Amino acid sequence: MERIALDQVPMNQSMTLLSADVEAPVARRLSALGLRRGAEVSVVQRLSGGGRLVLVAGSRVALAKGVLAAMTVAAA
Amino acid sequence: MSLEHRAPSRSTLSCHGAADAIASADAPVVALAGTPNAGKSTLFNALTGLRVTTGNWPGTTVEVSRGVWRTPRESASGEIALIDLPGAYSLDPMSPDEELTRNLLVSVPRAEAPDVVVVTVDAAHLARSLYLVAQVRESGLRVVVALTMVDVARNQGLDVDAGELAAALGCPVVAIDPRRRRGIDELTGAVLQQVAQPPASPRALPETTDELELADDRFAWIDAAVQRATSDSGQARVNWSDRIDRVVTAPTLGPLVFLVVMWLVFQITTTVAAPLQDALDTFFSGPVSDAVSGGLTSVGLGETWVHGLLVDGLIAGVGMVLTFAPLMALMFVLLALLEDSGYLARAAVVTDRMMRSIGLPGKAFLPLVVGFGCNVPAISATRILGDARQRLLTVLLVPFTSCSARLTVYVMVGTVFFGRAAGTVVFAMYLVSILFVVLVGLVLRKTLWRSMGTEPLVIDLPPYQVPTLRLTAAVAWSRLADFLRRAGGVIVLTVMLVWLFQSIPAQPGAGGFGEVDVEHSAYAVGAKAITPVFEPTGFAAWQTTSALIVGFVAKETVISSWSQTYAVAEPDGSGGGELGARLIQTFHESSGGHPLPAVLALLVFLLAYTPCVATLAAQRREVGLKWTLFGVAVQFTVAYASAVLIFQVGRLFW
Repeated sequence: MERIALDQVPMNQSMTLLSADVEAPVARRLSALGLRRGAEVSVVQRLSGGGRLVLVAGSRVALAKGVLAAMTVAAA
Repeated sequence: MSLEHRAPSRSTLSCHGAADAIASADAPVVALAGTPNAGKSTLFNALTGLRVTTGNWPGTTVEVSRGVWRTPRESASGEIALIDLPGAYSLDPMSPDEELTRNLLVSVPRAEAPDVVVVTVDAAHLARSLYLVAQVRESGLRVVVALTMVDVARNQGLDVDAGELAAALGCPVVAIDPRRRRGIDELTGAVLQQVAQPPASPRALPETTDELELADDRFAWIDAAVQRATSDSGQARVNWSDRIDRVVTAPTLGPLVFLVVMWLVFQITTTVAAPLQDALDTFFSGPVSDAVSGGLTSVGLGETWVHGLLVDGLIAGVGMVLTFAPLMALMFVLLALLEDSGYLARAAVVTDRMMRSIGLPGKAFLPLVVGFGCNVPAISATRILGDARQRLLTVLLVPFTSCSARLTVYVMVGTVFFGRAAGTVVFAMYLVSILFVVLVGLVLRKTLWRSMGTEPLVIDLPPYQVPTLRLTAAVAWSRLADFLRRAGGVIVLTVMLVWLFQSIPAQPGAGGFGEVDVEHSAYAVGAKAITPVFEPTGFAAWQTTSALIVGFVAKETVISSWSQTYAVAEPDGSGGGELGARLIQTFHESSGGHPLPAVLALLVFLLAYTPCVATLAAQRREVGLKWTLFGVAVQFTVAYASAVLIFQVGRLFW
């Protein structure tokens, strides 16, 4: 199972979130928005400012580049 | 951030507030909870209409609304006391909002807790809306779930069955559409029914204290409920939001769209509001004043100080407050529209990187832009910032945005002293304004809030929706009334105080009370006493100081009061007229022959020192007296230091 950071994945490809190496408050925020271990995510758009728009469980979440780089996913 | 020891309780619900927004003491108490963007506020508005008070919960910086939910059924009084808790994803106390929610629901003794908790659950984002429900279900409180956005979910291919969901969650689930007022009666019925019976047994928890395990257990429960209650609706996804976002958050188009929107906001709050404000101003200084004058004359009080007190004091003060009303109303409406439609979240994404460099989130751009029109609504606009510290920082920075009232002084003074270069001088003032915002922001962050984390951008983009005008109007009205009530008193009082000091004769023979001209009044005595402080700035003349004091009350009155102190007619049109000639003379004298640096010093001082009493009143409303005074200290320090620097360095060259 190939592990890759979320800022490296191609667009519109469904991935499974494995972990997020971020500080506790950020982790909770991600989790509250549906971005937790085992969730199915896909990157759908590039954003002004360098971040990406991520689709998870029907929600669209804008994430900064740094956060994306800290999140590890594997092909679903 | 912790709450004071005053325990939050339901008895606090009957605190100060508009009389008709308090339910009777024996009415059941219902708390409204839910994630942000789940339609909670819309539901609250639909249930309470205008019978609402908003304010910070005692001992916290968290804004909580309380209202009266009128029920058609026979409860004890036909009323329910409804409290709108801040939006929260969970009961984990990670922010002041969530901490308050937790305290009010879980940490209080059962007798103090609300009778029922209504949790708004977004059918289009079911899984993440249910985490809060899971935790509330563990607390043993009575719960009713209000299921919103059912049609949005259906458009995305999801059919949510309220009955199945209720069975899975162990509490009643009522599908509602607060915008179209559907399901409200059923919700009322479900809540009243719950009140009449003991709470359902709480959700069983695994035997562990490990946070992660508990969370996993909740997620498993949630996933099972979602599985059970949702099915494919067979409808194709309608992707309006996606399509709009492709433009609005795109790398190059996004900022362009944002600038256009900001320009519109700025235009509306200045251009559209201005005629309304002028009309009100004319109304108060014309017909109303005339009517009162006429009335006083007819009872023989025509030329006395009573006339001055009522017309120049009270009516002028009240008039000033009311002229703000169109501006504030427009601002609140625009804010509500931007937030409701969902655009504000996108704007936060677009401006994030730029604002982050001064330690503010993207959303802070809006209050700062509005501030260039008028600081007063800009202070209120800081409410869109969720984090209290960021809100505070923005509130402290807004006064450094150079408002349009200050512009009137720049233009007049610029024309008198710089002739054709006036335009450049005015432009330079705006650059200085931006510089102050950035620098003061950086300094405050580095000193006071070093620990204020730069939380990385993680923003949920809810689907776009068409704002409901009726609800927008209701919210705007309630906020406007709140502003008028709180800020109004301070402004009126200050205007009357200025009038009072200008009416007290300072030496015998100068005239009776209310009949002196400004130069011989107690006011001038005060101005002259303060003037020496300004020696290093080059503009130490009592007439100038006096204009600054009046400017403390409102910048719009600087020019007219300057004219009054010289006892000349106000300038109309360009050139400055006789006032200009006097000013040139005064500045020559006070600056020892270096008028231009002194003028620049004055303009910068005017830019940076306290905007006006109305802004102070708005600040006090948002962040409290202590921080407002701190802000005043910062403003005077920056103003004075800059003015001295500009003059002392400038006089070496000019």
